[in-house]
Amino acid sequence: MSLVRLIVGVGLVGVFVAVSWVAVAAMVKQTGGEEFCASCHTMKPMAAAYRDDVHGGKNTWGIRAECVDCHLPHNNPVNYLYRKAVTGMHDVWAEFTYDLDSIDWEAMRERREHYVYDSGCLHCHTKLEAASEINNKTFVAHKPYFLGATKEQCASCHKYVGHKNLGEKLSSIQVGKE
Amino acid sequence: MRVSGRILLFVSFFLVPLTANSAEEERTESVGDLSQARSIVIDRALTEQGKKCVSCHVDLNPGIINGWKQSRHAHVGVSCIDCHQVEKGSPTAMSHEDLIDKDKHDASMIDKDVFVSVLVPPTVCGRCHSVEKEQFENSGHFRAYRQIIPKDSLHALVHRYEGQDHPELSNASNETGCMQCHGTKIELDEKGRPTPETWPNAGMGNIYPDDSTGNCSTCHTRHKFSIAEARRPAACASCHLGPDHPNIEIFENSKHGHIYQAEGESWNWDTAPDAWEPGDYTGPTCATCHMTGIGELKTTHNITERLYWNLWAKESKVRNSTDVLSPLLGNGKEGRKLMKQVCLSCHSKLHTDGFFAQGDKAVMLYNVAYWAPAKKMHDDLKQKGLLKENPWSDEFQITFYHLWHHEGRRARQGAMMGGPDYAHWHGFFELQQDIYRLKDIYNKRLASGKIED
Repeated sequence: MSLVRLIVGVGLVGVFVAVSWVAVAAMVKQTGGEEFCASCHTMKPMAAAYRDDVHGGKNTWGIRAECVDCHLPHNNPVNYLYRKAVTGMHDVWAEFTYDLDSIDWEAMRERREHYVYDSGCLHCHTKLEAASEINNKTFVAHKPYFLGATKEQCASCHKYVGHKNLGEKLSSIQVGKE
Repeated sequence: MRVSGRILLFVSFFLVPLTANSAEEERTESVGDLSQARSIVIDRALTEQGKKCVSCHVDLNPGIINGWKQSRHAHVGVSCIDCHQVEKGSPTAMSHEDLIDKDKHDASMIDKDVFVSVLVPPTVCGRCHSVEKEQFENSGHFRAYRQIIPKDSLHALVHRYEGQDHPELSNASNETGCMQCHGTKIELDEKGRPTPETWPNAGMGNIYPDDSTGNCSTCHTRHKFSIAEARRPAACASCHLGPDHPNIEIFENSKHGHIYQAEGESWNWDTAPDAWEPGDYTGPTCATCHMTGIGELKTTHNITERLYWNLWAKESKVRNSTDVLSPLLGNGKEGRKLMKQVCLSCHSKLHTDGFFAQGDKAVMLYNVAYWAPAKKMHDDLKQKGLLKENPWSDEFQITFYHLWHHEGRRARQGAMMGGPDYAHWHGFFELQQDIYRLKDIYNKRLASGKIED
């Protein structure tokens, strides 16, 4: 009797783990893209600028990078989930409690390296070092980065990557509470 | 025979003028003649947008394209658009279409989506030259404009005295003088174009609308941005000259300058960074000692790194600060070690140690025998109300200023860079005259209790 119970118990735990796994994976995926992120008002300009950009799908290859591909660290899965939880909770809290009109987005753009992770860029651009060598000017430009001779991060030089004309969108789209 | 001879003569009659013509054509085509540079088609390495810029601007600004085509940038395919394009929302963004006269030029050449900026801040250069930019940002050059922002006495000199408080014109000496070397905070008009009060300038310490500081093209001028040019003393000389810091004159006065003037034309000027070593040259220029990776040293754009003293302040102190806005930025002891390492590439240890012993002695003499007593007299007169309100009509204050700002710097910098005429005749000789003049005036004012007429 106890053996049957044990088998059923282990089986149920297994099913629970599997279902939870699928649910978490689905939720992580569901909450990583423009549709979810831009459901908050504050993200409207960022989403609009993103849709105009190569990374946002305005390209001839039919692919796009999701918000989290750039804005979460990809160095290890634990850090990824931890930052996702922290920034996710912060953003929800901010959306409901902050004076959204008083946020100085332009000042925050000056800290772009804080919000864009190199590990995210390199997660997709996996062969960047080798790719740079094909083109003289990108080779010269990326050499100090791959040699570790500079402190600059991807977004230090690619200042407007991911969001085309974001400055203009920020000044033309109202983000405050309605 | 006779017939064929006539035919030959007949044919040559036509041929002679033809060949003469083509020879003349060849003679008129010379390198550097801008009137000939009217068409460039480059189908290599440049983006489509980049090619479009070049093909029109070769007619409009042949000088710019001529400089660029001789540059390393042109070699690696970096063209106009790579540096001048900005995002639409940028404060300096201008629609290329709005800028051009559509009756004269083809507006369809550049995409409507393309926005350009006249100004190219150092952040743009730093996208590829990030190491050089970081080094610059830790150097004294970073301070070139920022350090004069809080100096009220300097603003008074420019506006009240040099500008005679003129309501519209008082900034003239700043715009044509100070700003051209020190730089300024570049202001924009409502269209995003830099204002004539702040641009053009070639100043080292410009603050750009994107808040970045510096100016690469001060030494590597537009649009060739040449390493060879920046290694020449001329790159430094356009600012480091004159009565208050005659650094180029001191260099020319030195044996290093002597060798440069005699042999510089045959040196290799464009050897790769860190590999430019004795043999490429037979004597150093400013860049060799202050920047290059000579011997075991690493190339640096931090021109403060190899310095021991501050040689331009009122009193010379040993550098000991990590604050980039401090006049004492640097680590004097480490700086001296590095500079000695430069010297040792060509000189013995005995020669090197002896040189610095001589130079240090001159700096210390200035500090104790000239600056300290002059300052004491100045403060004493100030406390007793015996200084005029307008320093520039007060014999004591004028002499006091010259003592540190002109003569004192010449003596110290002449001594530390091997310029004997500046250490002595333009330096200490004038310093002793200054100090005696100051003492005379000081004694008179104390005795009479009045400022003399």
